[in-house]
Amino acid sequence: MALIAIENVVAGYGIGPDILTGLSLDIEPDRSYCIIGPNGAGKSTLLKAICGLLPPRRGRVVFEGNDLAGLRTDQVLQRGICFVPQDRSLFPDMTVTENMRMGGYILKDRHAVEERIHEVFDMFPILRERRSLPAKTLSGGQQQMLLLGRALVLRPRVIMLDEPSLGLAPIVSKQIFDSMNALKRAGITIIVVEQNARIGLKFADWGCVLDLGKLEFEGPSETVLNDPRIEELYLGRQGARTGTSG
Amino acid sequence: MRENVQILILGLTLGGVYALMASGLTLIFGVMGIVNLAHAAFMVLAAFMAFFAFKYLGLDPILSIPFVMPAMFLVGVVVYRLLFSRALADPHKRGVMVLVTFALALIVEGVLGFLFSNIYRSTRPSYASDAILVGPFYLPEAQFYATVLSIGILGGLWAFLQYTRTGYAIRATMHNRTAAEVVGVNVDRVSMIVFGIGMALAGASGSMLSFLFSFYPSKHWEWVAILLALVVLGGMGSLLGALIGALALSVIAAFVSAEFGPTWSPVTFYLALFVILLVRPQGLLGKKPEF
Repeated sequence: MALIAIENVVAGYGIGPDILTGLSLDIEPDRSYCIIGPNGAGKSTLLKAICGLLPPRRGRVVFEGNDLAGLRTDQVLQRGICFVPQDRSLFPDMTVTENMRMGGYILKDRHAVEERIHEVFDMFPILRERRSLPAKTLSGGQQQMLLLGRALVLRPRVIMLDEPSLGLAPIVSKQIFDSMNALKRAGITIIVVEQNARIGLKFADWGCVLDLGKLEFEGPSETVLNDPRIEELYLGRQGARTGTSG
Repeated sequence: MRENVQILILGLTLGGVYALMASGLTLIFGVMGIVNLAHAAFMVLAAFMAFFAFKYLGLDPILSIPFVMPAMFLVGVVVYRLLFSRALADPHKRGVMVLVTFALALIVEGVLGFLFSNIYRSTRPSYASDAILVGPFYLPEAQFYATVLSIGILGGLWAFLQYTRTGYAIRATMHNRTAAEVVGVNVDRVSMIVFGIGMALAGASGSMLSFLFSFYPSKHWEWVAILLALVVLGGMGSLLGALIGALALSVIAAFVSAEFGPTWSPVTFYLALFVILLVRPQGLLGKKPEF
């Protein structure tokens, strides 16, 4: 059985048009995924529809056999799906430690939260060094680490990241992907949306290509990377498209 | 010199109450992104509660605060559920919600005017017109009690925001609504609680308003304009900013009043509003608007 089954999901914002136009995809537990596609294909929208930030208009998302319909983000989080959005959504004036504590907000046991924060600091020593500084004083890469660390406080089953390398220098973005590799080995299912298909597919086991709100095709990363259709999607038509990534 | 210190004292003792009035407004804006134009109308509603409790039950307006605050909290929760809950989820609607608060202000004013007519009222507890002498200076008793109490309530609010789990969630939502949602804060519930707290703060300041000033249903327009000036000076959504803005402007207004006559004192606030918006639109401690 798939860990997450996305069945014919249609979703969009406010009174706007459908961004996802009937997308179906199975997420298997023992793989990591990279979702790619041109601007406006619905990559971010898909993540938001899974985590409850944007309830689907039609279709359903099933996690471990349970329909997630009607659940709020905090309830989806309780079940073990964590979302790290693209806009560096930290609490800029709170310290690194306070940000981490907010990561464990839904846990009642404060001691467990403090313990887990220590574990995360062991993984990212730079965060321990900066623990009493406001999050806004960190560099872009450190902020991305903090976002990752904050998500880990919950020990989630699934982490979904929206463009973690956005705006980072190549060497910094490599560090982020290295950390994500460590999480992958620790048994967390990772779904990453990545504008840079090459980096994303190198990291992930499985590639999913979205276009116009639907799954265009999927397969092992190697195969997807060498598929001629990629070139057509990215080079052949990208020039004709405008707008932000959806 | 002595005269100036006296004016400073008068300004500061009113400033504390202004700060309490402004705190609810800025808190609601900080979390919901909505300027609640009905804030002062709810203060006047609370002033009426305190007035009638004093008139018919003989309850001192300061002692009525523990009853008025929870009552206004409930009013806030009901209003939030009816008007704001669903609209807040949609960023497009959020911008229009200020018009809903405008309508709310008109409705509260209209109902109060219909029930109690637009005559001047005020509660007159024994201390209303007394003063305490401190050396060569005199402290108007009513203003002094009101400001001490206001600072006390603000201190309690600060401790609540700083040390409780709900307080953490409120601050997180103020900092970054999406991020709060992503870590599992139920932002709808937080907004409801904050709207309730904002109304409770309006309730406490309304009770005090009842013996500090005379009031009538349409008086709230004057108040909300002054409060907006305070909140904009401090920075929309910043509690500390509201406190600083309130103290600064009420001291300046006291000096203007002493120098040019009391007629000019309200002008201070409007003039300040113009200057702030020209020079530093985000206010002293405010963050740049995100919405």
